[in-house]
Amino acid sequence: MSESTRITAWRWGIIFAVVAIAESAVRLGWISSFFLAAPTRAAVVLWEQIVHGNALWLTAITLLEITACLAISTVVGVFAGFLLWRYKLIGGSYEMFLAALFSSPVILAYPIFLVTFGRTSAAVIALSSIFGLIPIIINTKGAFQNVNPILLQVGASMNLTRKQLFRHILVPAVAPTIFSGFRLALTYILKSVLGLEYVAQVGGVGMWLSDAAFMFKVEEVYAGLLGTITLSILFLYLINRSEVLVRK
Amino acid sequence: MYKRQQNSAFLAAQLQTPLGVQALTLLLIIAVWELIGRTGILFAELFPPLIEIMRSLWTYVTTPIMLPHLKASLYEVGGALGLAALFGIPLGILWGSRTRWLEIVEPLILYAAVVPKIVIFPVFILFLGIDVHSKLAVGAIAAFFPISLLTIAGMREVKQVYVDVARTAGAGAYQIATRVYLPAIAGQVFTGIRIGMGAAVTGALLAETKVAKAGLGFMIVEYYGQFRIADMYSLLLFIFILSALVNWAMKTLFARLSPSARAGQDAGMYF
Repeated sequence: MSESTRITAWRWGIIFAVVAIAESAVRLGWISSFFLAAPTRAAVVLWEQIVHGNALWLTAITLLEITACLAISTVVGVFAGFLLWRYKLIGGSYEMFLAALFSSPVILAYPIFLVTFGRTSAAVIALSSIFGLIPIIINTKGAFQNVNPILLQVGASMNLTRKQLFRHILVPAVAPTIFSGFRLALTYILKSVLGLEYVAQVGGVGMWLSDAAFMFKVEEVYAGLLGTITLSILFLYLINRSEVLVRK
Repeated sequence: MYKRQQNSAFLAAQLQTPLGVQALTLLLIIAVWELIGRTGILFAELFPPLIEIMRSLWTYVTTPIMLPHLKASLYEVGGALGLAALFGIPLGILWGSRTRWLEIVEPLILYAAVVPKIVIFPVFILFLGIDVHSKLAVGAIAAFFPISLLTIAGMREVKQVYVDVARTAGAGAYQIATRVYLPAIAGQVFTGIRIGMGAAVTGALLAETKVAKAGLGFMIVEYYGQFRIADMYSLLLFIFILSALVNWAMKTLFARLSPSARAGQDAGMYF
């Protein structure tokens, strides 16, 4: 058995051990099923919701919200980041604002978005886009700032036009850093969308979890939690894989 | 005449500095806000006069009206940060000191860190009820990840040569821990605590907005429910100012204690 296989086996072993402990605790009556649903039961409820319930529809809503946020953040973020790099004075002035916005608990302002957009997915999309926007702006500005000047000089010496310089030198040089911002943005958007759906009780998977908790359907709460965790992990896995592909 | 020209030149030069642009932007935001609020051209109820917001903020600062809610939130955030540090730092040291263990658990921690912690809140309600402790638990789990991950990062930065030199000089395990490891990881741990504080604030207060009996987050939703928009804005402003002040105080203190404490600012997203 290779070293990496052994490490993976250990990881799965830890996960199975935790699941087995939770399962035994409920089955043997150490913990009341009112507080904790047996993991197998939660998985069955999740499967039932996927096959007969509306779990797939709710997941589609969540994915749609995430896609909308990502599209808004990318378009606005890359453009704003480019402008902040191009106009140094504005860039230097607003960088502090962005950092302050990033470090403050902006998500607590979600009632403002509920008042503006109503209790709809639009409120979730509008607020979550802000979380995606900031890392993309910061990374885009940083990416343009850190382009090796020698590359530009080489381009100029080859008599490239401004358009060619932008397309053939600047864009390939900044792409990896902007992608890092994109990756960060996607992680933040995912957390924000799921969190807001739960708190504001709108949209997809998060709302399902909130509804189940409100009605004290314990098994459904754990099924929803399982679905949310699976979705988050799947997303991170896909982001990591796509980053590996981009860097290749 | 010459003096006036000199003054305008000075003003123009000031406006072309980052501070000038920031001041101008702030003035512009205030002007647009007041214009929308007073003319009512767009969501009039969403833009109450700034004087009303400031009056409400003044009431929070000068009267004990917010005290029970502030106490509840401080208890939750303080308790959350304490618990997260209590578990996060030792576990971070343990995982960081064993390369093999770290290889096994690190991906699990990183994947768990991505899950929004607020979704675990219903589980905490089942176990701990709707009192302050369920919110404290959400804050603690949110703060645990930055603290443990940055402690691991700190342990990674400790050069083996320092440990070897200390050993050659005859230092025991305790001395190596206190004289080599602790000073080397202090900067990262302090940064983790500061970012963890931001995560605990966001986690606990967000949970308060969902189900609570008291707390600043609870008051935000109360004001939202009663459509007291000016009061809600001023409370949000109060929370942002308070968080920024605590963040600044921690940054200053930690920079003195350990100059290697980083200036990471991404606290808002660890909820």
